[in-house]
Amino acid sequence: MQFKYFYIVLFLLFFITNNKQNSTDSNHDIELITTKTSYVAGENISLQFKGNTNASIYLLCANSYGTIVVSPSIENSTTSFQLPQNFANKSGTINWQLINDSVLKTGTLYINPQPKIKAIETYIGPPSIEAGATDYTMLVSIPTDHLDNPLADSTEVTVKHQFLDRNFKDNIIMKNGIAYKNIYSEKEDGRIIISTACLDLNSKEYDVNVVPAIPTNFEIDYSRIHEYADGNQITTFNTSELKDRYGNTVSDGTFVNFYLTNSKGYKSSTSGLTINGIAKAKFLHPDHEENFEVKAYVEGMAESNIIAISYKKAIGDFEIHFSEDKRTITVGPIESFMNQRVPDGLNVTLKIFKNDVLDHKIIKETREGFATFKLNKDRFPKGQYNFEFYAAGTTKSFTAIAYE
Amino acid sequence: MLLEQQNPLLPLPMSNINKSILRTALMLSYVIIIGLVVYGIASIYSYLNTGADRSKMLHTEVKKVEQYLPQLQWQPLTNEGRPMDQQTLKAIETDYLDAWYVKHVAYKTNTTKGITDYYTESSRENLYNIIQLNTESNTIIDATTLSHNPKLDFFSEDGQLAVLTDYDVVEYKRIFKDNNLISEVAEISDYRVTFLLEDGFWRIRHMIKLESHPFENETVQDTLKLDIKGINYYPQATAWDMYGDNFNTDTVAKDFKIIKDANLNSIRVFIPYESFGKANVDITKLDQVKQLLDLAKAEDLKVLITLFDFYGDYSVLDWTLTQQHAKKVVTALKDHDALLGWDIKNEPNLDFESRGESLVTAWLDKMIDLVKSVDGNHPVTIGWSNVESGEILKNKLDFISFHYYNNLEDLSEAYTSLKSKIKDKPIVITEYGMSSYSGFWKPFGPSEDNQAEYHKKIQTTFAEKDIPFMSWTLYDFSRIPKEVVGRLPWRKNVQKHFGFIDKNGAKKASFKYISSKE
Repeated sequence: MQFKYFYIVLFLLFFITNNKQNSTDSNHDIELITTKTSYVAGENISLQFKGNTNASIYLLCANSYGTIVVSPSIENSTTSFQLPQNFANKSGTINWQLINDSVLKTGTLYINPQPKIKAIETYIGPPSIEAGATDYTMLVSIPTDHLDNPLADSTEVTVKHQFLDRNFKDNIIMKNGIAYKNIYSEKEDGRIIISTACLDLNSKEYDVNVVPAIPTNFEIDYSRIHEYADGNQITTFNTSELKDRYGNTVSDGTFVNFYLTNSKGYKSSTSGLTINGIAKAKFLHPDHEENFEVKAYVEGMAESNIIAISYKKAIGDFEIHFSEDKRTITVGPIESFMNQRVPDGLNVTLKIFKNDVLDHKIIKETREGFATFKLNKDRFPKGQYNFEFYAAGTTKSFTAIAYE
Repeated sequence: MLLEQQNPLLPLPMSNINKSILRTALMLSYVIIIGLVVYGIASIYSYLNTGADRSKMLHTEVKKVEQYLPQLQWQPLTNEGRPMDQQTLKAIETDYLDAWYVKHVAYKTNTTKGITDYYTESSRENLYNIIQLNTESNTIIDATTLSHNPKLDFFSEDGQLAVLTDYDVVEYKRIFKDNNLISEVAEISDYRVTFLLEDGFWRIRHMIKLESHPFENETVQDTLKLDIKGINYYPQATAWDMYGDNFNTDTVAKDFKIIKDANLNSIRVFIPYESFGKANVDITKLDQVKQLLDLAKAEDLKVLITLFDFYGDYSVLDWTLTQQHAKKVVTALKDHDALLGWDIKNEPNLDFESRGESLVTAWLDKMIDLVKSVDGNHPVTIGWSNVESGEILKNKLDFISFHYYNNLEDLSEAYTSLKSKIKDKPIVITEYGMSSYSGFWKPFGPSEDNQAEYHKKIQTTFAEKDIPFMSWTLYDFSRIPKEVVGRLPWRKNVQKHFGFIDKNGAKKASFKYISSKE
């Protein structure tokens, strides 16, 4: 039984020694004198070997970015290889191979970044976030040493931020060559001021805007000079102050659309942008009696109550005068609610039918209360025509007008 | 004044003939000069009218050229920060590989072209420094990477910064100093890479080699399970060009029946690299190989597939494309029951002279790794053209194969000698044979009887030494593409007559000895 253990131990020993032999296999009377395998970036790196060498011996070195061949300097029986400075500046693993005709020795070095900081690169995005404590911006920071190597993982970075009257300070740890932190908004809108610090180096100031969240439902109202449908004056719609659900006034420029539905169900719209939370939109009075229902929307986000608005009839009956040859027709005077002549520009429409088929439609604007139609002989030759006039909600017809 | 009248019936005087000739010549030269002048003006006019093609103004048709396709396998996404989408991941992958590619090109040529696109302003300095060092020491690094296994560590919320760790990057480098190859290095390393999105490029900001050690891979897998008695196969009419429109399942099925009936159990076929579409393997042709395997299975024949026929580039920056090709072919066929194994390349030792032994061997070495990484079940070999090359890469191959066209008397000894050096692996002769051509180009060439005698003798040797074999070839061919043996008729005609069956389908005397007796 004891012998059994003895054999097992012997067997294991054999294995271990055997392994050792393997690892020093390519030892061609050359020994590495340099024992240091871990360096700090920028440190002078020189590998020295003892043993028989000739001139065609090289050291291949590969760092994080590429591979170079280093030539030796031989003194007595010591061969040394001086790694170029800017090659020794980059952190990461360096693997080296000592070669002449074959590979004599191989090994690796590790270059650590310097423990001192030179710069702190900071990336922040997105640059504006929504109030409400759910949205956040991310700060990513890459502190680097004097040789542009990112500092070692686990280096502590301090993130400071200020919002309204509150100051915050958090410590984060570098991982994967970076350190990052999510900075959440609060319920108020405003601006977050951010800075970072690492190993006594402070970054510059960064800011992130906290914009109000989406608006909540709101009220609308209107104001106008008078209530008459004169086709001339303008009604102004306005909203109450638009606020998000935390009571922040929405950003200037929020687009509000007002939809007006008339008594026949036809829709028109007008729109405005908010300033200090209030949007205003303009609407031209109709030229005839009309009732509207008005509702406003911030598309996809919020809507208003419905209000009703009615316009009274302003323009009554009007006269139509035919010239002797009936080819010059004067409409008017058209008079408004105080019997004043309507302002220039009211549309008067004349539809001309021949054999009960619409032959032509002419639209004229009034000037000083009158609209004049002149019907050319060539366009409307001898025959019978029916006329239909329309202005400000009133229609007047004349049948069997005969042209010579 | 009296003018001498000419009689029209009399032959014209000499001077008149000369005059006519002169006149004609003058007129002709006039026409030619005018023609030339018009042509000249026209070409000037059309030159002035050419300009930038409007359709090309926006560079909308920039085509992506496949020049660098190492194996790349993303590890499952578990990154911190913003969730990653496939489109961005693909963009990072493309730019990351391009960054490697421009770096390889930069170190190969010691120029800085393309680096600005893929490395940020401060990180490109590191590459410039190394290029400068290498220029000063007259060093050239010809390198490639063959495998990447990136894992995304971090993606920033604004989508502008990403960090990945690329595990087990297999790098292969050839290092030249003063134009002499001084070393070949294969390394396997882990890199951590920080990217910034700048101008639409994912540029490398930091790159850190975390770990690295020499790369060696000597996994030997499943060895040969079959006592090979086989033959190299091409159809009679479409030698070296049997896929595509030429592929005919009836012919193949008929031939496989003949092979099976002749007491053979395996065949060796070839997959040409270029006509199979290089890195973009032609699916139709690959399907035809599958059909061929199906037909082989029906006759219970095993198929040794030889890859990379007619490939001869081997340059390091071409490796990823060849590996992509092999990966696609091997992946598609590896699960087929009829598959015997993989022959990486036919007679690559013939390229040693023109491409360099170390380069070709390194390519083969890495290709073996790739094929084994894709197909862990089937044995891998290389069809060396002579017995002397048999020891190259012997540790990586699962069985050794070579071709034998030399003197029959020496075979036994050559085989024994190789066998004594490679004791633990089967050694197969995957090509041998004799042409029965004797004719105008080779008047005293061997006859069909000589050929039969040859096969009789060689079978005796095979039986004595227990040598697995695959003969060249079933048919006499009527047409040989020039890529095989060139255009010289005395070579072509010899190559046409290696078959056991002649042009007309009649079995030659040698057919009796196509296989062993039992």
